[in-house]
Amino acid sequence: MKKRIVFVFVLLLTIGILFAQPAQETSSSDKPVELTFWSLFTGGDGEFFDAMIKEFNESQNEVKMVNSMVKFDDYYTKLTTALAAKTAPDVVVCHQANLLNYVPNGSFLALDQYIDKTTLDDFQQEPLNACRFDGKLYSLPLDVHPIVFYYNKDILKEAGITTLPSSAEDFIKDSQIIKEKTGKWGMLVDNTTGTYKAYTLTRLFFSMMKQEGGSFLTSDNKKANFNNEKGVAALNFLKDTVNTYKINPDQLDYDAAMNQFKLGEGAFYFNGVWATGTLETVKGLNFGAAPLPAFFGKEDWAWAGSHTLAIPTQKNQDPKKVQAAVKFIEWMTAHGELWAKAGHIPTRKSVAAKDSFKALPYRADYVGAAQYAMPSPSTAAWNEIYGTSSDLLEAAVTKNQDTKTALANMEKVVNEIISKY
Amino acid sequence: MIPGNRDTRDGILFSLPFLVVFFFFMVYPLLFGLYISFFKWNILSSPTFIGWKNYVDLFRDAKFYSSLLHTLEFVVITTPILLLLGFAMALVVTGKSPMAGLLETVFFIPYIFSMTVVATLWAWIMQKDFGIINQAILLLGGQRIGWLTDEKYAMWSVCIATFWWTAGFNMVLFTAGIKQIPQEVYESAEIDGANSWQRMTHITIPLVAPTTVLCLILQVIASFNVFGQVYVMTGGGPAGSTRVLIQYIYETGFQYFRMGYSAAMSYVLFVIMLIVSVAQYAVLGKRKEA
Repeated sequence: MKKRIVFVFVLLLTIGILFAQPAQETSSSDKPVELTFWSLFTGGDGEFFDAMIKEFNESQNEVKMVNSMVKFDDYYTKLTTALAAKTAPDVVVCHQANLLNYVPNGSFLALDQYIDKTTLDDFQQEPLNACRFDGKLYSLPLDVHPIVFYYNKDILKEAGITTLPSSAEDFIKDSQIIKEKTGKWGMLVDNTTGTYKAYTLTRLFFSMMKQEGGSFLTSDNKKANFNNEKGVAALNFLKDTVNTYKINPDQLDYDAAMNQFKLGEGAFYFNGVWATGTLETVKGLNFGAAPLPAFFGKEDWAWAGSHTLAIPTQKNQDPKKVQAAVKFIEWMTAHGELWAKAGHIPTRKSVAAKDSFKALPYRADYVGAAQYAMPSPSTAAWNEIYGTSSDLLEAAVTKNQDTKTALANMEKVVNEIISKY
Repeated sequence: MIPGNRDTRDGILFSLPFLVVFFFFMVYPLLFGLYISFFKWNILSSPTFIGWKNYVDLFRDAKFYSSLLHTLEFVVITTPILLLLGFAMALVVTGKSPMAGLLETVFFIPYIFSMTVVATLWAWIMQKDFGIINQAILLLGGQRIGWLTDEKYAMWSVCIATFWWTAGFNMVLFTAGIKQIPQEVYESAEIDGANSWQRMTHITIPLVAPTTVLCLILQVIASFNVFGQVYVMTGGGPAGSTRVLIQYIYETGFQYFRMGYSAAMSYVLFVIMLIVSVAQYAVLGKRKEA
């Protein structure tokens, strides 16, 4: 008898728990619309971005943005699976180069109807157009982050160099003087894979191709276009700095290059603008920043990525959330001077004109680079081309391979990759 | 069997939660993988049927072969050494040393760390410019070695980190195997005048053979599956010289959005591992009964 009572009691308790509901909240009209965001920004970038979100939340009551950080390596895997399951958050960040993987299959909302013309005109047109596909706008660029040129002022002073080098020959000459007079490295360009691939090496190669008036791929992105004298000149320069002139360390990976510069072991460092934030924190590092010089030719073309903010399509799209998301994106881009603290270049002209932006050291020096920012080619094969070319360029530089053979092989491999897509 | 109990029904009910999870997370993806390997699919759009094309392509893909080669390199280097290390550690731990208990813990602890922690740790220890190994070498007057950036050493460096990390598991298996050997056998051998080396080679090793076979099969399967340590420590570099097959499969599926091709490669790897495991069991398993 007792057992039966206990049994019934436990059964009722269990059923009660299954149907339990939280207390009714206040009516939804006073509650701010809550949005979710996945951030791929870590480290210095992450801190600045979180500070911006905090300020956005504090500046108004209608929208509350809740941010969660994802490890950079896993971000796109997580995003892709969430988009496939249609459980993506309300706003996402997507590199401009990766938009092509998501836009054609309808993963992102077209934004044309939500953004007014004055806002659109405030954007720099090059990065904004890079977010258009088939005439429709699928994301707004938060920043443009090209490869720029950092230099150690103390080493240059010690070596007696008063003007910054601009052409390839200048770099070689100056680096040799630096080596003689100070014993430090002239150039710090990564050339091997550590935790990260030798991104800078590959990006410099792309940039040089364009500086010479060529391009990495043909304009229809269907064939490789670097197996010619332009490619030879670029690869020879990158190889010779390491092997012939020995002004660039060998087997240098991305992290090591950054650390060498931080420790004052090298004069000329090349990396994206995102490095500014970290370099600034190093005590005793007296450095300057400038747009990437024209190693070849006259125009300072530099590979640039761009962080863009997009709105994923959901199974049941809530129009209130979409409006809130648009409001968030517009606010973030309009307050680009906060993001510029991480070193990035803002994309809205109104931001570049703000005094608070102009007062930031270094950024004002390379804000002009946005004009010569070169986005990655728009092809679905790009990720594979980029990764594979990086491997091949690394091999060519670190193993001092014959330039013409290396380029011919790279052309064959890249064309094969394109044919698979 | 207690009369009145419905053991079959109860057995099924108790296994059901596990079986449900097992089916949805293991069996279904396994079958789906095979299915999708005959399609071209970029995850976010609908798949297109292309028949055997993925398989034909992969047999002509130089990168597939080089990645498979790197995986085989890893298997060939790590398997014998990990077996030896595990066995040696087990000998120490089952021996008469007063430190045996402490050493057992010390040898096993690395195994409980997650792969990312171990790989990141070793990546920094072996870092060319600032890692402690090279700092020590510099202090002794030598030159820096590119443990992870020199093609000659990269694969071995990853293997060394793996030895530190997983040898403890083999030690546990061998310890169990050694403890099963009755003490009388050792004692009678000692009486007959066998020294410790002879006891080890003529008693321990033969009698621990079933464990060795088990360890070998498990180790080969685990080594074929290598991905994490390589990816974190060398990223597949330098210049792609340590890229193992699973990394290529991952990149093709999730970075290049070619899921069908990725699935096809996974199945080829699966078939290779199946053949190797069955062959091992057939050859070595028989000897067990002899």
